[in-house]
Amino acid sequence: MDPSSSGIQEPFDLIRLSLSERVFVKLRGDRELTGVLHAYDGHMNLILSDVEETIMIVDPIEGGIDGHGTVKVAKRKMEMLFVRGDGVILVSPPSRT
Amino acid sequence: MSFFGFERSNLEQEKKKFLEGGLQETEDLAVYTWGEESYDGLGDALLEGGDELNDETFGETGAVGKDFDFTSQTLPTPIGATRGRFTPTAEPSRERTPVVERTEPASNSRDRGLSPAPKSLESIWDDKSPFSMLSRTAGHQRVPSNLMKSPFPPSRSPALNAYVDHRPLSQQQPISHGINQTGVRTLQEIEAEMRAAQQKRKLQEEMLLQVQLQQELQREEELRRQEESHRQEEFRVQELERQDLQRLQQEHLLADRMRARLEQEQQLRLQQQVRMSTPRVVPHLAPSPRFNQQHQHQQQILLLQQEQERQQQERLKDLQERLRMEELERQLRAQQLSQLQQQQPNLLARRQSPYADTQRRTHSPVIDSQYALFNQQNIQYMPQSIQLQQRLLSEMAQVEFMRDMQGISQAEQEALRVEAMRKIMETERMEERRRRKAAKIAHMSRYNDLMTQSDKDFITRIQVSQLVTQDPYAEDFYAQVYGAILRSRLGLQSQDERVIKFGSSGGVGLGLAQKGSGRRQSAMQKMEAQVERIVNNARLREKEKGLHSLHSLQGALGKTSGRSYKAAPRQLLQVDASSATPTMSGTHPHISKEDGNGAAQEAAKLGREALGQAAGSDGVVRKDPLTQRQTLVVLEGLYDLVLNIEQLRRDQPLEEDEEDGEAFVSWSATYNDLVEQIWMNLKVMLPLETSDPHPFVSLLTPVKGKKILPRLSRHIAPPRMLTLLTLLVACFSQLDVVKRAAILDSPEETPERQDVERQTQAFLGSVLQSILPVVAKAELRVITGLLGLLLDRTNIVVSAQTRPGIAMLTLFLSRVEIVKQGMSSAQESSEIPTPAEAQQWQTMFDHLFQLLMPHFVLLFPSTRLVTQPLTVAAPLPPTDILDQPVWQFLAALALHASSDQQSILVTSLREKVLDIVTSISKGWVADEEERQTKLANVNLFLHALGLDSSQISV
Repeated sequence: MDPSSSGIQEPFDLIRLSLSERVFVKLRGDRELTGVLHAYDGHMNLILSDVEETIMIVDPIEGGIDGHGTVKVAKRKMEMLFVRGDGVILVSPPSRT
Repeated sequence: MSFFGFERSNLEQEKKKFLEGGLQETEDLAVYTWGEESYDGLGDALLEGGDELNDETFGETGAVGKDFDFTSQTLPTPIGATRGRFTPTAEPSRERTPVVERTEPASNSRDRGLSPAPKSLESIWDDKSPFSMLSRTAGHQRVPSNLMKSPFPPSRSPALNAYVDHRPLSQQQPISHGINQTGVRTLQEIEAEMRAAQQKRKLQEEMLLQVQLQQELQREEELRRQEESHRQEEFRVQELERQDLQRLQQEHLLADRMRARLEQEQQLRLQQQVRMSTPRVVPHLAPSPRFNQQHQHQQQILLLQQEQERQQQERLKDLQERLRMEELERQLRAQQLSQLQQQQPNLLARRQSPYADTQRRTHSPVIDSQYALFNQQNIQYMPQSIQLQQRLLSEMAQVEFMRDMQGISQAEQEALRVEAMRKIMETERMEERRRRKAAKIAHMSRYNDLMTQSDKDFITRIQVSQLVTQDPYAEDFYAQVYGAILRSRLGLQSQDERVIKFGSSGGVGLGLAQKGSGRRQSAMQKMEAQVERIVNNARLREKEKGLHSLHSLQGALGKTSGRSYKAAPRQLLQVDASSATPTMSGTHPHISKEDGNGAAQEAAKLGREALGQAAGSDGVVRKDPLTQRQTLVVLEGLYDLVLNIEQLRRDQPLEEDEEDGEAFVSWSATYNDLVEQIWMNLKVMLPLETSDPHPFVSLLTPVKGKKILPRLSRHIAPPRMLTLLTLLVACFSQLDVVKRAAILDSPEETPERQDVERQTQAFLGSVLQSILPVVAKAELRVITGLLGLLLDRTNIVVSAQTRPGIAMLTLFLSRVEIVKQGMSSAQESSEIPTPAEAQQWQTMFDHLFQLLMPHFVLLFPSTRLVTQPLTVAAPLPPTDILDQPVWQFLAALALHASSDQQSILVTSLREKVLDIVTSISKGWVADEEERQTKLANVNLFLHALGLDSSQISV
């Protein structure tokens, strides 16, 4: 009779639990988002508010070995964001400290 | 049609011969000798296929089958028999040179027919010339008139000859017949006989030929006459056409010249109007680039008139060509149309009839219809009156122009010309714009009437069928709620739900009510009516059809949707969410159900022993606090319940209605059940010691937990709300907003601080909001109890340094103040507290005051902010707004305080007040708004003490 296990029937139920909570979203193209989840659908389209986007930009060093380079991190903030589901890799609650 | 091929024509010819004579000796005839060695390949030029074109090739001459028939009738005896049989190789060399033969004029053949050209059977057999037959039958054959006219026989003439020939062969059948009979005679006898026969034959042939010639001549004459008349007719038509073109041309020239010379826009307008009436013609008649070109030329009008004329000519030619093309197209269309005509007579009737007319005309329909079109266009383009008017105007203008040219100075002329040019250009622009517009309209109306009304209805049906849902209100929820909000804001009281319902089976949400244009309104109404009709029809059909068509899904869970539109993709299996679980959305059916039951049972068990004796009761099951996920799961369940209960509230039947009495009973049972579930899920009744934080407090931790409380509290009875409030006060220190409130005192802007800020706002806005009505009705002793509980269970000094704490305390104090006022106004009510209760309150208040007394200054966020060690560099944010609730609290405190307490209050806050007043009076505060806030804050407190900031002198 553990509600945490019995209450979840499909993967989307887990996302549902995070509604109006802050979530961490990993996107394709080395992008990450944190924001408050407001809505989602079966395509994993998301609507987030108070979003901070983190973009990893890898600058390959010339003459260096492949895969080595400096990683630049660009950040930006958005009040409200629609995330198209095809770019979503994972959605998780932010790690609690 | 191959008359030269041996194998192929054999059968055919034999059959024909058999039919004509039934003789077996026909194979002796030299018919098949063509095309062996000297075969000149003319047969290749034959049209092997397309026999149906024969009539066109030969049929013009009429009676092909008749013209040699007369020979067989008038020549019953085989005249040529002996000749054919017994003329040996008299002219074999001649016969073998077909070139000579061919170059021979056709008229000569008569002589050759007359002159005995004896041929042996072999020679005939060996004769490879296609004219060998010709020579023999030339007298009988009729050369077509067109061949006679040509000096050379065209390539198809052999075919023609052969075609003509195959009947005359029958004449020669007696030849071979004769051979068999006279096989034993001597040469002399034969020669004599031959001579006699020849004589006789010559005579007969001569007669025959004369008759034939006469006939032929007659026929030729006739033909020539026919042709003549035909040509004349053609000529006439062409002439007419040319005349028309000329007329058009002239009119064009006229128009152009007028435009060039005249400054009168009226003229142009006239023309424009004329053109307007014939939009089809316009693109051909007036291509704008050329016109522009012309206008450039018109600066030297007189010089360039020739040039213009030439251009006109070209244009007209162009136009003619285009018209012809167009006409051809139109004809094709007309043919199609006429085919359609049988099926859809009314369709054609709608179209223009001239096309059909042109089709009915038999000869040269292109020219004919073109002619007709020209006339039409002329009529359209230049109605008689306008034509006349234009001519008159142009004459007048010409006279005037000539006078002007002579009379006025060069400069004036120039000015006039410039003016004219300007006007012309302007008109051109207008014209251009109009044409663009017309083209656009034409483009848009291309597909007019492409769909019939039933087509449109069909598509609408498909579209609307996608909108029909089980629960139209819920599916259209946001629009409905938004619409309701809008309506209430506008003060309108229209219908509650913009929904079309169809009994119990479903309906269509209509979204927001359309305001504004009446057209849209009526469109919406029409749509509604149509939707209703469609759905009703669909239901009827479904009933008729029954379920027999859906056997494929038999046994599947859920209900199959009877759909009639294969074109529209739609899910075939509809799982009814509401029947499966009490949740509203089908995607998450299980969260609330099982958890609800489990928790309810647990709560019921625990609640029985824990209720009322919160502290220190034995047998309390201690548990771990709810995990984050458990909290969220419970909250989701609560949200489902809330949505359900809100939906239920909307469906509430009328209590007064007697018929609905039963429905109301069952409704209220459902409602109560839901309320009970909510209450259980809130876990308020769990004993305090169950965990730390209490499960209820855990539920309040997320923002959505805080926000759901006002929605729930509406359905919870006041006594239960009081319990809830008590629990909240008892666990006040466990609240996240209280525990983490210190973060707010940090000047640094961190995500954590933001989060706490957000939570605090939510708590103040939602949780306190939902308990406000409870506190507002609470009696004095309840407040006293709550305050006591707060002082007992929490560190009041810490709690009072939080915004929720301050807010809570202010709430209590202001409620007591109101109760006191009620007391003083001597209202006779049950709420008036007994003196004992008042005494209890006073004690409790004193206790509070005592506890807070050393920390009054620290209550201010601004003060705490200054004391923070990190504030060196950071500029102080405006704290006056944050301080405001504290000032409010202190004012409330001051109202309750005794004079001793007031003086303590003033002493401890003196510095703070003076600080603010000084900063205001010395003008250190630049911002007027900030100054006002500061002043208001101080006055709020001072007024409670009966003072004012103006009384304080710095």
